[in-house]
Amino acid sequence: MDHFSSYHPSVLLVYYVIVLLLTMFTVHPVLLVCSLLGGILFFAATNPLKALGKNLIFYLFLFFLLALTNPIFNHRGETPLFFMNDNPVTLEAILYGAGVSVMLIGIMFWCKCYNQVMTSDKFVYLFGKAIPKLSLVLSMALRFIPVFKSQMKKISQVQKTMGLYTSDSLTDRVIGSIRTLSALLTWCLENSIETADSMKARGYGLKGRTNFSIFCFRMDDGILLAALGAFLCMSGVGYQQNVFEFYYYPSVSPIPTGAGAYLQYSIILVMMLFPSILEIKGRIQWKLLRAKI
Amino acid sequence: MNWKKIGSFAIVIILIPITLAIGVVLFKGRKYNIISIAVALLACVPNLLFFEKGKADTRRMVVIAVMVAIASVGRVLFSPVPSFKPVTAIVVVTGIYLGSEAGFFTGALTAVISNMFFGQGPWTPFQMFSWGILGFIAGLPVLQKILKSSVQGKTLASRLPIVVYGAAAGVLYSMLMDVWSTLNMDGTFNLLRYLVLLGTGIPTTVIYIVSNIVFLLIAAKPIGTRIERIKIKYGI
Repeated sequence: MDHFSSYHPSVLLVYYVIVLLLTMFTVHPVLLVCSLLGGILFFAATNPLKALGKNLIFYLFLFFLLALTNPIFNHRGETPLFFMNDNPVTLEAILYGAGVSVMLIGIMFWCKCYNQVMTSDKFVYLFGKAIPKLSLVLSMALRFIPVFKSQMKKISQVQKTMGLYTSDSLTDRVIGSIRTLSALLTWCLENSIETADSMKARGYGLKGRTNFSIFCFRMDDGILLAALGAFLCMSGVGYQQNVFEFYYYPSVSPIPTGAGAYLQYSIILVMMLFPSILEIKGRIQWKLLRAKI
Repeated sequence: MNWKKIGSFAIVIILIPITLAIGVVLFKGRKYNIISIAVALLACVPNLLFFEKGKADTRRMVVIAVMVAIASVGRVLFSPVPSFKPVTAIVVVTGIYLGSEAGFFTGALTAVISNMFFGQGPWTPFQMFSWGILGFIAGLPVLQKILKSSVQGKTLASRLPIVVYGAAAGVLYSMLMDVWSTLNMDGTFNLLRYLVLLGTGIPTTVIYIVSNIVFLLIAAKPIGTRIERIKIKYGI
C-alpha cells in the first residue's frame, strides 16, 4: 500500500488529475480499456481479493445495464439491429453505451484508489498554502469528528452516573440520546470558541507564520513529475495527429493504427499501470527479502 | 453586497460562459462531463473566494467548522439508511443563522469532508455546489427572516415556510444531481435520459424531501437557539 502513496502529495495529485482527465476526455476504446485495467489492477494490488470480487460483480452488472439501456435513449447510428416500439435499436448505440460504461467503471476504480492514497492530511497539506482559511476549516472539521465521538461517550457516561439510565425501551433510548446530543451540541459550540480564542492568542493569522509539514520533495518525486510532463507532451502530440480521434455515430470509426498510434497506446498503458506495477514490484521484493532471512 | 462581492460574482458570470465556449470549440461540444465539472467548480468559486479573502473572524470560522463536522457526522451516522440524511437540514440551518456565505461554505465543505468517508469522485463538485446553493438561498436576507421566524414558530401554520423550503430543497438537490448523472452516462445532455432519471429517482427524491422536513422540524430549533446564544454571548 505504501509504495505508490509514498510519493509526494503534489505528484500524486498531478497523476490522478491526468488519469481522470484522460479517461473522461476520450471515448477511444484502447485508452478506456487501459485506464480500466490500470484502475482494477491498482485496486487489486492494494485491497483484499474479496473486496475486488464484490466490486467486480457489481460493476459487471452496471456495465450490462448501461450498455443495454443506451439504445433506449439514443437512436443514432446506421446499423439497426431490430425495432422496438418503432424505434431502431442500433449497434452503435450499444457499443457507445459499452464504451461509456467502461469509462465510468474505470473512473470509479480510480476514485476508490484515490481515497486510499490521498488521505486527508495530504489533502490539507496540498491546499493549505493556496487557500489557508478554507483548509483550516477543513482540517478543524476533520479533527472535530473524533473529538465529538469521545465527548459523546463522556457525556453519556456522566449521565449514567447522574442516574439518568436508559432502559431497553425504544422511546427511552431515543430520549436519552437526544439528551446526550443536545449537551454535545452546546459543548461543541462553546468549546470551539475556546479553540478560536486560543488560536488568536497564539498569533494565528499573523504574517510570517510557517507550516509544519511532514512531506518532503525527493528525487523520485521529481523524476515522476518530469515523466508525467513528458507524457502530457506526448499525449498532446497524439491529439494533434488524431490518434485519439474516435466516434461512434453515425458509424463506429476504425481504431487508428500504425507505428505512431501503437507507440501512444503503449505509453498510455505503462502510465496507467504504473502504480500497480510499483505495488506488485514492492510486494515481490518484500517476499524475497523475507525469504532470505 | 459590497463591490468586492459583486466583482467576484461578475468574474464567475464571465468565466462560466467562456469555459462553455472553450469546451464547445475545443472538444466540439462532446466532452460535457469535463466541462460540467469545471463549471460546477467555478460556480463554487465566488463564495469560497469571498470567504477566503474576506476578514472572517476566527471565532466565526471555527463555528462554521463545527457545523461542517456536525453535518458530516450526521451523514456518516445515517449511512445505513439510504438517502435519509440530515446534511441539507444542517446546511440550511447554518444558512439561516449565520448568513448566505456561511451556508454556502458549510454545504460545500461538508461535501468534501463527508466524501472522504463516502468516496470522492467527479460528483464531488456537484455536491459541493448543490448543498452550497441550498445553504446560500436559505441565508438570503428576505428568506432568512421568514425562515427564522418559522423555525421558532409554535403553531403548525407558522412552521409552514420551513416545511416548504425543506421540500423544495429536496427537489432542487435531486434535479441538480441528476444533471450530473445524465452527463456522466451520456457524454452529452440527453433530455430524455434526464427525465427518465428524474422519474426513476422519484422515490429517492421523496426520501430527500421527507428527511429534510423531519430533520428541519426536529433539529432546526435546538441548533438555531444554540447558535443564537453563542452569537450573543461571544459577539460573533
